[in-house]
Amino acid sequence: MAAVRRIAGGFAVPLGSVVFAFIVGGLIVAVTGGNPFAAYQGLLCGGLGVACSTTTGENPALQISTTIVFFTPLLMTGVAVALPFRAGLFNIGAEGQLLAGSVACTVIGIKFSSLPAPILLPMVLIGGTLAGAIWAGVPGVLKATIGAHEVVTTIMLNYVAQWLVRFLIVGGPLQAANGFSASTPIGAGARLPLFLPNTPGLVIFGLPAGVYRVHTGLLIGLAALVVFAVLLWRTSLGYEIRAVGQSQRAARYGGINVARTIIITMLIAGAFSGLAGAIQIAGVDHNLTDKYFNDTTGFDAIAVALLGLGSAVGILFASILFGALHAGGSVMQADAGISSSLVQILQALILFSIAANFLRVLRLPAFRRRPSAPAPTAPAAALMTEAAKAPPGETT
Amino acid sequence: MVHSRLRFLGVAGVALMLLAACGSSNNTPAAKVYKIGLVTDIGGLNDKSFNHLADLGLEKAKTDFKVQGDVVESKSGDDYVPNLTNFASKKYDLVIGVGFLMQTAMGTVSGQFPNVNFAIIDGAGTDANFNDLKHPNVQSLYFSEQDAGAMVGALAGLLEKQNKAKKNAGVISAVGGISIPPVNHYIAGYKWAATMMDPGIKVLVGYSNDFTDPAKCKNVAANQISSKADILFQVAGGCGLGVLQAAGQAGVYSVGVDADQKDADPSVIASALKKVDVATYTAIQNVVNGKFAGGALTFNIANDGAGYALDNLTVSADIQTALDDLKAKIKAGTLTPPADIPA
Repeated sequence: MAAVRRIAGGFAVPLGSVVFAFIVGGLIVAVTGGNPFAAYQGLLCGGLGVACSTTTGENPALQISTTIVFFTPLLMTGVAVALPFRAGLFNIGAEGQLLAGSVACTVIGIKFSSLPAPILLPMVLIGGTLAGAIWAGVPGVLKATIGAHEVVTTIMLNYVAQWLVRFLIVGGPLQAANGFSASTPIGAGARLPLFLPNTPGLVIFGLPAGVYRVHTGLLIGLAALVVFAVLLWRTSLGYEIRAVGQSQRAARYGGINVARTIIITMLIAGAFSGLAGAIQIAGVDHNLTDKYFNDTTGFDAIAVALLGLGSAVGILFASILFGALHAGGSVMQADAGISSSLVQILQALILFSIAANFLRVLRLPAFRRRPSAPAPTAPAAALMTEAAKAPPGETT
Repeated sequence: MVHSRLRFLGVAGVALMLLAACGSSNNTPAAKVYKIGLVTDIGGLNDKSFNHLADLGLEKAKTDFKVQGDVVESKSGDDYVPNLTNFASKKYDLVIGVGFLMQTAMGTVSGQFPNVNFAIIDGAGTDANFNDLKHPNVQSLYFSEQDAGAMVGALAGLLEKQNKAKKNAGVISAVGGISIPPVNHYIAGYKWAATMMDPGIKVLVGYSNDFTDPAKCKNVAANQISSKADILFQVAGGCGLGVLQAAGQAGVYSVGVDADQKDADPSVIASALKKVDVATYTAIQNVVNGKFAGGALTFNIANDGAGYALDNLTVSADIQTALDDLKAKIKAGTLTPPADIPA
């Protein structure tokens, strides 16, 4: 019973944050002259394919497909942020690691474009995974050896990756021949298969089959969550990661090689992010385009990891929520005329209320009787406090 | 305690969903109304440029015809395909994409919905290699940017020649976003006309490799200003606002692009206009009149789809005469600004 209570209590904070965000968002819409119910109907319809208005003609299947396409990379980048959280590391570099994976996938997919899928597809996915691992491994090594703060180094490597993308596709070696800022497409063998056949003329759920872009990368993403959960709770490495996150001194006293654990954690995190990047190229875009320069998946992943409290199930739900918000924003704007910027407001409010953790106030004894001992720190806040700890070099 | 609170949250959530589900849904149009969907690129409606102008064109069409116009702003490149597909799947009469960034998405979606009409500003429906798929249901709305660039280039050249600029070192400049055809067309016309008016002029050209971040364009502009440029032409969308600011702070002149950017900074003396509003309106008008046709429509000075505006500067009569003369010659076809930047 106590365990159930604890789990329920754990979910109350993120759930409460989401409800809080939606209430404040609704107030903002109402105050600015919009209809919050129409707005949220559009969001629900666009995001989850439910409660669609009969007059606007949204296709629920199409919307669900779009949401899945949007949340697939968040599963893996969410893990890439959550795993280092557990080790007390704040990986802000999921975006850069994702881009490194995208670049590697594109380069391999173009260079070996004539290879058949059974060879090329694993090559591009593994290539992307390795590139992401390297991109995160560098900050990991720097943190473990000379104590360079991973927040700073991963952020800087984000810039390096972003501008590397620009360099490669704007006047660089990957640019397609016609002067636009995009690479040539990867070979057919490097593309992830779609769930639904993309046969011209085939109609599914009343629309041409090609509009459903759900790809098999979803399965890889779900598998990544399982790997994450097993790694964290069922392996000795996972134990070491959690031990380092709890207290580096205690971990070291217990015989754990802290530096090694930090490096391995970052390598694995980067691998997940790099895989996400490779999957975006192999499953959705098929070429490196300028949109990757402005991509924010790796930053949304931070919110996803926090909202999901760093657990696999939490990341799954948080990813679905963010994917649905992304897909729903457009429908909300098209149907209800509410700017899709509301979605960004909602996301920020969710993150804000989790970070501030002020919902905890409701549970404070002061609300019932009088102030006493400080309330226990909520998981998300605890994760961030851990992440803000000094690097190992200074804690000896 | 936790349980009751959870139950409350659950009830509140369900109530919210039910309310949302029952919310307003009665906006059924009465008669045959043409449904127009407009998809902006990542610049958004507030870009004071393309997307804003396209929306103006749509608004004008809404007042002139029986048109239901719906707009969706793309927040990232991931949104282009879903946003275009959304309108197309709802059988809109015309789906307009703003900007060349949407070309591949336009090619994909227009192929899936051969019975829906599409129009795209500054681009075509292309495959992943940017080859025009020439779908008969896609209309490309192109502009002769060089026409507009030539008008502001002529103004810059005349000011330099008459020593009416700020430094009068005979140096002007242009800041491009990314080196792509629409950007280079502007710069080509600018340089061509400036050189024509003042053969000794030096025209610096730089690129920020960005269309959104003003700081990046500000850097490029600062370099040009330190190289004695005193009239700066921004051809970089939202990024280019940094050029206008840099010019304002350095006390030199700047030239806006695409839309009239008079209000963006006091340093803006003129703007090269790409009348995306005219193009959007024309495309909608064609659909309403049953005259939609695939292929390219080009907007230029001759059909009032391109031009210029004088902003925070009063020019002398002889400069105005020279500008009018050039405009008439381009309109008549006796002078043709080049599409490629002259050496």
